[in-house]
Amino acid sequence: MIKKRTYIYRSFERFWHWSQALLIFFLAFTGFEIHGTYDFIGFENSVKWHDIAAWAFLVLIVFTIFWHFVTGEWKQYIPTTKFIKAQVSFYITGIFKGAPHPTHKTIYTKFNPLQRVIYLGLKILILPVQFLTGFIYMFYIYPDNPAHEFGLEIIATIHTIGAFALLAFVIAHVYLTTTGDTPLSSIKAMITGWEVIDVDEKEERMKHLQKSLDESVAGYYRMDKEGRIIDVNEAWLEMYKYTDRNIVIGKHYSVTRDEKNVKELDELVAKVMNGESITGIPAKRKCMDGTKGKHVLSANPVIEDGEIAGMEGFILDITEKEEFSEHMNYVVRNSSAGYYRMDENKIIVDVNDAWLKICKYGNKSEVIGKHCSIICRPTELDNLETKFERVLKGETMSGIIGTRKCKDGSVGKHILSANPIYVGNLIAGIEGFILDITKLEKDL
Amino acid sequence: MLTVKTSKRKFIKLFSLFIAIMLPWLIAIVYFNNSDGEEIPLRSINFIKDTISKVDHSKFAILQQEFETPQELTVACLSCHNQTGREVMQTSHWKWTRDYITDSGDTIQLGKKNIINNFCIGVSSNERRCTSCHIGYGWENNDFDFTESKNIDCIVCHDRSGTYKKFPSGAGYPVKEEKKFGKEIYYPPDYKLISQNIGPPTNENCGACHFVGGGGNNVKHGDIAMEMSNIGKTVDVHLAVDGGKMGCVDCHKTERHNIGGSLYSIASTDENRISCEQCHSEEPHIDRTLNLHTRKIACQTCHIPVYAKVSATKMEWDWSTAGEFNEDGSILVKKDSAGNIIYHSMKGTFSWESDVEPEYYWFNGNARHYLMGDKIDTTEVVQLNSLLGSYNDRSAKIVPVKVHRSQQIYDPLNETMILPHLYGKDSTAFWTNFDWNKAAETGMRSVNLPYSGKYAFISTEMYWPINHMVAPIENTLKCADCHARDSRLQNLTDFYLPGRDYSSFLDLLGFGIIIMVFIGVIIHGSLRIFKNKIF
Repeated sequence: MIKKRTYIYRSFERFWHWSQALLIFFLAFTGFEIHGTYDFIGFENSVKWHDIAAWAFLVLIVFTIFWHFVTGEWKQYIPTTKFIKAQVSFYITGIFKGAPHPTHKTIYTKFNPLQRVIYLGLKILILPVQFLTGFIYMFYIYPDNPAHEFGLEIIATIHTIGAFALLAFVIAHVYLTTTGDTPLSSIKAMITGWEVIDVDEKEERMKHLQKSLDESVAGYYRMDKEGRIIDVNEAWLEMYKYTDRNIVIGKHYSVTRDEKNVKELDELVAKVMNGESITGIPAKRKCMDGTKGKHVLSANPVIEDGEIAGMEGFILDITEKEEFSEHMNYVVRNSSAGYYRMDENKIIVDVNDAWLKICKYGNKSEVIGKHCSIICRPTELDNLETKFERVLKGETMSGIIGTRKCKDGSVGKHILSANPIYVGNLIAGIEGFILDITKLEKDL
Repeated sequence: MLTVKTSKRKFIKLFSLFIAIMLPWLIAIVYFNNSDGEEIPLRSINFIKDTISKVDHSKFAILQQEFETPQELTVACLSCHNQTGREVMQTSHWKWTRDYITDSGDTIQLGKKNIINNFCIGVSSNERRCTSCHIGYGWENNDFDFTESKNIDCIVCHDRSGTYKKFPSGAGYPVKEEKKFGKEIYYPPDYKLISQNIGPPTNENCGACHFVGGGGNNVKHGDIAMEMSNIGKTVDVHLAVDGGKMGCVDCHKTERHNIGGSLYSIASTDENRISCEQCHSEEPHIDRTLNLHTRKIACQTCHIPVYAKVSATKMEWDWSTAGEFNEDGSILVKKDSAGNIIYHSMKGTFSWESDVEPEYYWFNGNARHYLMGDKIDTTEVVQLNSLLGSYNDRSAKIVPVKVHRSQQIYDPLNETMILPHLYGKDSTAFWTNFDWNKAAETGMRSVNLPYSGKYAFISTEMYWPINHMVAPIENTLKCADCHARDSRLQNLTDFYLPGRDYSSFLDLLGFGIIIMVFIGVIIHGSLRIFKNKIF
């Protein structure tokens, strides 16, 4: 359970609660004057206002009953014996030891078991009895009334018992409001509607996940075992320029790719269906209108009942970024400085021609997908790994003099720069440049 | 951190919540406070002042004569109003009785004539004095002929000259020649003048007897007195010269000389009653709750918060102290600062009160009376009349009542009330001889009942429902006069009255629990602060 500031009492609920509170105080005040306990505003005024307040209360109660059924809030009052002992012993002993409340207040269970029983008792016993006896009292017409056998005395006595019960409740109720997180937090909550209450962590997480899935800028997709798309979110639709989800649902995933790129995806899907998870693969998509886009893609199997039932994942659009860095790419490609890029596992993802030359490799494919240790002397490996780890935590390094192990086993020296690659807020890898200084050193 | 914009938005949100909660309250307060100030229209139905077309009696030939006796005048009246004698002789004003169903189911004639009260007790053997308020001439003893129409005293009710007065101990006759009674001089009436100035009864005509029942102003009723003809609204909204300007007969409607309305000090059945509802309807209030109250609360209960507003009324009469004299043997009379007699040798000790809060009883329109000869329970206060009804009686309402309490003579051996012979120049009358034994013997013999020879005094009560001195609206009872722990209805305990009644056990338990919860909260809170330093 986690605590969270939550809107727990709605406007009508607060209006009802405080109006009812006022009415109960007012009815008690005028009622006990009618009873003859004291003399403040006079018997006549007391009767007049007691009657008016009774009618007002009746109207309020009718609206409130309606509200309870319409909102389903009546379910809050279903009594339970579970934890009722715990709740009682909390008030008797636990509270003095600073023990936590035995039950948790959530928007679905606003009341503890003791509250449920007491409030339900008020709603179905005390208040109806007060209304019934009150209105009989009001319309009771002396002995020529059929209800005369029961008499005004018994009606008045029951009404008075009800009044005492309500008064005792009000005192205890007001006091028990101080047993919240702070003495005033419950009262404040009943005024503003907001209270810090327990929320179900799992549920809360699900809610947020659901929300992020629906509203994320990352596109979400899910497909079944046969490769048919069964769900996508708004961001996905937007990236693929679909206007209607129904067009894409049920289609095979191949519609999302160019013919030449489908194969790559087939392989990926096959892997995932075998249980592998894929993170951060760049991909080219074919949008609905035939235009192209680029994105980074993740994929993981969907497991239902212990079996792989499909695949789901996210795509992050990188089209714009790529276009923006077209020139940069050109520079990097043609630079005499060696460029490298690694993913977060320090697997080499990309290098430029200058890098291949410096490290004496002939072809990109020889290094891409390999761990960075292939160009490192074993003695230097720890040193390098620590440096990269620091970069993966966000540090940027430059002008570091490093040694390398080339393809042919020869050793060279270079100046190295390394900076983290961000995808959104996350560090997805490392990139940087190397400048060969072997020759320079030899010259020196 | 909140930006200025979001904190402002948050403030607006909270402010609108606050407004949403408070707005209904504000609307209610404004709405209901404004509706308070409305003038309440007086609802009145069926009310018509009698407008009998005037007949100028001075033009009648038969009245152009000097009448020697009052009977001659009556004969003259009846010579034109030739059915009226028969009508009058059927009324309780003449008969001084009405039908009464006894506990055993027999219908008997019961009324002033044969009932006893706890003022001057009973008519029999004291007729000369008592019947000065009878609408007839010459009821001196049991032999009075109730079928002789010429003995009807028409003018005591219909005199508009204001000069006619019966003599207080004249058996219903006015004087033949100038005569003193106490300090007051009575003159022989000018029958010719009177006969040519007659009309429907005025308040003074009715009041000549009814305002002074019991031998003095406001003694008996408490809610009608001589000043009623000249009062303001605060005393009685109906009769007030600045109010309804109404007369007795405007409410006490009369048909064939049978005057509406009866008082349950002597009346006993729910008949010939007049009520506020006749004019004001059964739901006269705007307020629904108040209209519901009319089912169980008589109008009088709230609208007559006090009676005896001007002159005091007699509340207690202790006959047992009668018979003390000044040292020189002359009649001893003590008066309070207001001039009310509080002791008189002939009558005993009195207490008087003004602005009296009524007592309240259930009443369904039927009353039971003590009948001469009935056994009494000597361990209890004797109720000479009792108003019937209870909470569960659908026709009963709570009414305001003047309760007159006395110590009066009874026969402890026969366990009956005694009707004493009080007035007379003979050798046994109490007011002449001050001997209770002789007075009791003569009195009881006159009603053919035994007297054991032993007498004692017992507490009695009489119930006089209060119907007059209706207060203006601002002085009516307020809810809390009854709906409070110190309720005016303290002695009506057969129902649950909100505000007055409560279960002391439940209150103790309820407030006990509230206090325990409070203490529990304080202990729990202190322990938390102490153990965890939560703040």
